[in-house]
Amino acid sequence: MYHLRGVTKTYRRGKATVQALDDVDLTIEDGGRLVIQGPTGGGKSTLLQMLGGLDRPTSGQVELDGTDLATLPEARLTRVRSENIGFVFQSFNLIPTLTAQENVETALVPLGLKARDRRERAAQALDSVGLGERLSHLPGEMSGGQQQRVAIARALVKRPKVLLADEPTGNLDESMRDEIMELLEGLWKEHGLTFVMVTHDSAIAKRAPRLATIRKGRLTVTENARA
Amino acid sequence: MFFTYLRRELRRRRKAALVVASGLALGIALVIVVNSVSAGMKQAQGEVLESLYGLGTDMTVTKAQEEPEEGAAPQRPRFKFDASQDGAEQSNDMLMVQGFETLSTSTVDTVAEQDGVADAVGGLSLTSITVSGDFKPGEMKPAQPAQPGQKGGSGEVRGGGADFGVNSFTVFGTDVTEPDLGPLTSSTLTKGRTFKESETDAKVAVLDSAYAKKEDLKVGGELKIKGKEFEIVGIATADKGQAAANVYIPLRQAQTLADAKDKITTVYVKAADSQAIAAVKDEIQKNVPDTTVTTSADLAKTVSGSLDTAADLASNVGKWLSYVVLAAAFLVAGLLTSSAVSRRVREFGTLKALGWKSGRVTRQVVGEALVNGLIGGALGIGVGLAGAYAVTAISPTLTAELGGGLMGGGPGGGGGGGIAVSGPGGGGGPLREAGERTLDIALGAPVSLATIALAAALAIGGGLIAGAFGGWRAARLRPADALRRVE
Repeated sequence: MYHLRGVTKTYRRGKATVQALDDVDLTIEDGGRLVIQGPTGGGKSTLLQMLGGLDRPTSGQVELDGTDLATLPEARLTRVRSENIGFVFQSFNLIPTLTAQENVETALVPLGLKARDRRERAAQALDSVGLGERLSHLPGEMSGGQQQRVAIARALVKRPKVLLADEPTGNLDESMRDEIMELLEGLWKEHGLTFVMVTHDSAIAKRAPRLATIRKGRLTVTENARA
Repeated sequence: MFFTYLRRELRRRRKAALVVASGLALGIALVIVVNSVSAGMKQAQGEVLESLYGLGTDMTVTKAQEEPEEGAAPQRPRFKFDASQDGAEQSNDMLMVQGFETLSTSTVDTVAEQDGVADAVGGLSLTSITVSGDFKPGEMKPAQPAQPGQKGGSGEVRGGGADFGVNSFTVFGTDVTEPDLGPLTSSTLTKGRTFKESETDAKVAVLDSAYAKKEDLKVGGELKIKGKEFEIVGIATADKGQAAANVYIPLRQAQTLADAKDKITTVYVKAADSQAIAAVKDEIQKNVPDTTVTTSADLAKTVSGSLDTAADLASNVGKWLSYVVLAAAFLVAGLLTSSAVSRRVREFGTLKALGWKSGRVTRQVVGEALVNGLIGGALGIGVGLAGAYAVTAISPTLTAELGGGLMGGGPGGGGGGGIAVSGPGGGGGPLREAGERTLDIALGAPVSLATIALAAALAIGGGLIAGAFGGWRAARLRPADALRRVE
């Protein structure tokens, strides 16, 4: 479970100071699903990075299962990321020289698994996203939707507690968008993940049970009874 | 995963890898060529010195030159002829010690007893000069008949003069019981035989091939030295340049002929440890008074000519040039690797987001740079070996001038009531013994295993330095910053 209290993040941009997050309080239950929306530069991605332990707040607490990620030493934070948090990025962020299977394996490298186990689990993960036949394909040989599936397989192969997705359909066309959303929702339900997603897409936002809107660093959360 | 990732990245960034590797290769190749040419120079200098000393000689001991007494005339050979012997052929044969400075043969034993001396052998350098010819008396021509009132007419001598030829050659009295040390070891026997150890006082001679050819002398023939006939038993050819002497004879014969009983000019010394030559030199100088000890290093300082210039170029300009190119190559490799990391921030940011430790990312970057370095090293070694091979194949000829400016004496003249011819003079010592000599040496570029090891070390070092640049940048990347920068 996530528990954020009084989280503030300020950046220096030249001589100006940018307030990306302003006293954010937020609780996300285990297995919960939250969609974050807001205008560009409003602080959506910054909030996601705080949740993922990729960045530290200027002040406040970011607790994950009782551990404050804001003050955790770098090595332990790295371990939390490697074991508990899966990321899906808008631009897929696959390594272009590695095959689909090897890309998925990169998420298992920090866990210290044997090469054979890594290969098996990566193959299973790709199979679970419908890419069982594309193990040896390079990212450049796949469509955008397929690349995002590889990224999803990479996020889930380590069986994380949390899945964080930063505009996962932002670079996809409409039909592919629905396909990826169905896949993510299906996996969320299947694995009982805590799923937080940033999106600009209102149609996707409407499908979420909880919607967080962030403007100029201020967060408001609304429950969606229809979802 | 490390090797898979490494292999794929190098394959993908082939051009960038080749640029980094080529830069390193250039520097490494230059280091190999400069090192091997320097080694070739040293080898050439060694050959030059060997030709002077003989193989295995580490130093020579000669009589220290003494200050001439005030007002004393310098020592010169004098040839006296009688001008009253009209038209008669006159000949004056002289065998004299080169430099006029000698040591007692007991010096050899004294030197041999010194710490660090493995072996010592004495030799006597002589010069044989024969001046022969005749005087042609002038004719008395009567003056014009006396005029009345004048005294009787007088006559004047017209015509006449002297016609003398000078024949000279160098003779070296060698210790036939010690054939492995001394100047004769720098020549290879090409005809006949060398001295037998029993021929300590035999009238036998070994000739330098150039001299034998010039004088048309052959094995089995005879050669006159100061009126004594010697049987020519062998002809030897100098391994490099000129030989130390024209004629080699047993030491005792040389001493007898030159009226230098129990005298030698030079002690040839072999040190027990080639690394301790300076210490042995000090030991001899301390314990054997009135001597001058000359080591190969001392002689090397007297080498001039294109060999010396080239050696200076190789050791100074070449060395610094290769260092500068190498440093530039390291810097370029480092900057290119660092720049490659900049282009891959999203990739490394993603890996860090996935839980890769900074150390693992750094290792990956350093690994790639190291492989680039090794490829550069392999290319550099290849190019460097080719360069060294080319130098050896071309074998540029370098000229070494030995002992220039250190020679003493020279022809002189003067004297009345006849003719006095002065021959070579000056002090003793190997340089003076050998005279001013010019040798042509073909330059080679031998590549030693140490040079290859140095190249490999430079390749690894270059890779690590380049990796350190990139690794440092990769380690400092914060995943959020890396991902934010590309959004």
